Amino acid sequence: MTATLEIKDLHASVEEKEILKGVNLTIRQGEVHALMGPNGSGKSTLGYVIAGHPHYEVTSGDILFNGESILDLEPDERAKLGIFLAFQYPVAVPGVSFANFLRAAVSSVRGYKDRAREEMERTGQLKEVGSELMPMREFRKELFEKMDRFNVDRAFARRYLNDGFSGGEKKRGEVLQMAMLQPKIAILDESDSGLDIDALRVVSDGINKLVADGMGALLITHYQRILDYVKPDKVSVFYDGRVVLTGGPEVATMLEEKGYGWVEDHLAELEEKKKLVNG
Amino acid sequence: MTKTMIATPISVAAVKAISDRYDEPEWLRQRRLAAWETFEATPWPTYKEETWRRTRLTGFNLADFGLPVETPETFSSRDALPEHLQTELDKVDSAGALILQDGALIYGELDADLARKGVRFTDLRTALAEDEELVRVHLGALVATDENKFASLHYALWRNGAFLYVPRGVAAEKPFQVLVVQGPGLANFHHSLFIGEENSEAVVIEDFMGSQQGMSDSVAESYVKQAARLHYLRLQNLDETAWNFATQRASVARDGLYRQLQASWGSKLSKVWIDLEMEEPGGHGELLGLYFPQDHQHLDHHTNQNHKTPRCTSDLLFKGALDDHARSVYQGMIRVHHGAQKTDAYQKNDNLLLSDHARADSVPGLEIEADDVRCTHGATSAKVPEEYVFYLMARGLDRKTAQRMIVQGFFEEVINRVPVPGVRAKLEAEIAHRVGIE
Repeated sequence: MTATLEIKDLHASVEEKEILKGVNLTIRQGEVHALMGPNGSGKSTLGYVIAGHPHYEVTSGDILFNGESILDLEPDERAKLGIFLAFQYPVAVPGVSFANFLRAAVSSVRGYKDRAREEMERTGQLKEVGSELMPMREFRKELFEKMDRFNVDRAFARRYLNDGFSGGEKKRGEVLQMAMLQPKIAILDESDSGLDIDALRVVSDGINKLVADGMGALLITHYQRILDYVKPDKVSVFYDGRVVLTGGPEVATMLEEKGYGWVEDHLAELEEKKKLVNG
Repeated sequence: MTKTMIATPISVAAVKAISDRYDEPEWLRQRRLAAWETFEATPWPTYKEETWRRTRLTGFNLADFGLPVETPETFSSRDALPEHLQTELDKVDSAGALILQDGALIYGELDADLARKGVRFTDLRTALAEDEELVRVHLGALVATDENKFASLHYALWRNGAFLYVPRGVAAEKPFQVLVVQGPGLANFHHSLFIGEENSEAVVIEDFMGSQQGMSDSVAESYVKQAARLHYLRLQNLDETAWNFATQRASVARDGLYRQLQASWGSKLSKVWIDLEMEEPGGHGELLGLYFPQDHQHLDHHTNQNHKTPRCTSDLLFKGALDDHARSVYQGMIRVHHGAQKTDAYQKNDNLLLSDHARADSVPGLEIEADDVRCTHGATSAKVPEEYVFYLMARGLDRKTAQRMIVQGFFEEVINRVPVPGVRAKLEAEIAHRVGIE
């Protein structure tokens, strides 16, 4: 079954200030959907709200994953469904090694933890330490395979999570996490920002491989640049807390030529067009 | 089954009885009596004293504790030891081990090769019998009898302790391990005396355990002679109904290195002084601390980095997590004496608050009388950052697991600097236990 993430007339606020003002958007597995918009338009907020950040309050509308609302789910429950948010600014967690963290995350998402708990409840016996985790040997094998496949240095495994990472290393780390967690739908928040051309290639290559494996991607970006490397199936234009236009790759090209000022100038016209498109 | 302990009350008669029982030399008997006099002449501390402003002795009554009378059973081999003690010793690959039960040596072992090289690792009582002069010169020369009321009490009533002497040029690769076990309701006065001669190297681990409804009043003195390297890892695992008082001091001679870890897990209330004396140029001192009080535990640490001489470095890092209604106090001082130029001293205390009811007081301090020095200090106290939790949750970890992982990560900065793998594992296990992972 192809997973679908549908955002319906979504309104969200932070501290009484409305940021999302009626977002409509659908992302499907296997598709790359680019979401382009100027800085401050609320693109990142959309990513956070989909992932379940507690700081934002959804005031109306809905987010459906395969037809079921996920609004009441905790961030970890959303991750277990197969939703992944690649952060624009991944948080550094000192003292927690990349490998330990990822093993715990993979074990949770793949159900090792739930199975261990069920087993314990069924047998009434206390679980052994580590039984709720993916076996170390298997985990390491897969981690190293994926590090090689996604061009991530094996030394990452022992380093502390994002601690002292360069901008490029953080983004590579996000791609590696994504590759290990195998989400159905990933939201990639400005995964291209702050990257030099080599890092951009590595990150784009990683996204392409995962999409080829069946992942759906919402690519949030300010610039056209990453779209030279990751070809979108759809492009939506985000402006002032809403999607104002959805089309094919040509929309990105047009934006590149005319800039976001054009969106502002033709907002009324675009609304009209959108109504026509939506029929 | 709880064994009923036969105990005698704390009094001047008890002080004399200890001297009589062990047939102690006259100088020691006189020192004990003088210490008792100082103890009696010193008022109990009150909150009016700066060092006691944040730690109250409410509910503490010396009459509640007795001194041990029975002689516990001794053991001739590791295999014969009670299982829990054997397990504890086996966690660390050591060059020697001592177990003291209520001041009696119940088990001892030492690597034969190190013994041949002149290493002495035994209980203080044996050291006193075998090398009275060495003990006389060093005992009480770093931590004075009148240092504080608890030190006075300690010098009046100490019964035994751990003694390590590493001769010139001898390096022990494996650590020396001491288990200090205390029975319920008793007062114990463990004395640690460590001497690292010129160019020697050693790691000593002391583990304090037991003392249900009891008290521990210990003193530790470490001598780091020229270019010697001494690492002292002190793990306080006392029962959470115990009162704990400890005065610890190390002196570092020219080009010496001293590193101490204080891991404070147990006790109902702890008041711990840890002082580093940089006596001669070129020395390096490092003080590491870990604490993780829960429920109503109250843990108070005082540190002093005392730079008396030029070109020494010292580095302090104390990290604590606090849960429930727990309370911690950290008071630190870097003191750079007149003329101690080119001192480089650092002091940092970080606290992680896991509950709205927990409280961490941190009072870092500097007193600098030299003008060409580099001294930095800092203190932080914060809750687990919500952004960290969200990031880990977005990867599929539930809130509890995410928080645990962040807390464990928080302590890694200290644990990383502990030189013994077995001790690192012990520390990690204790932290895992405290964050709720069995």
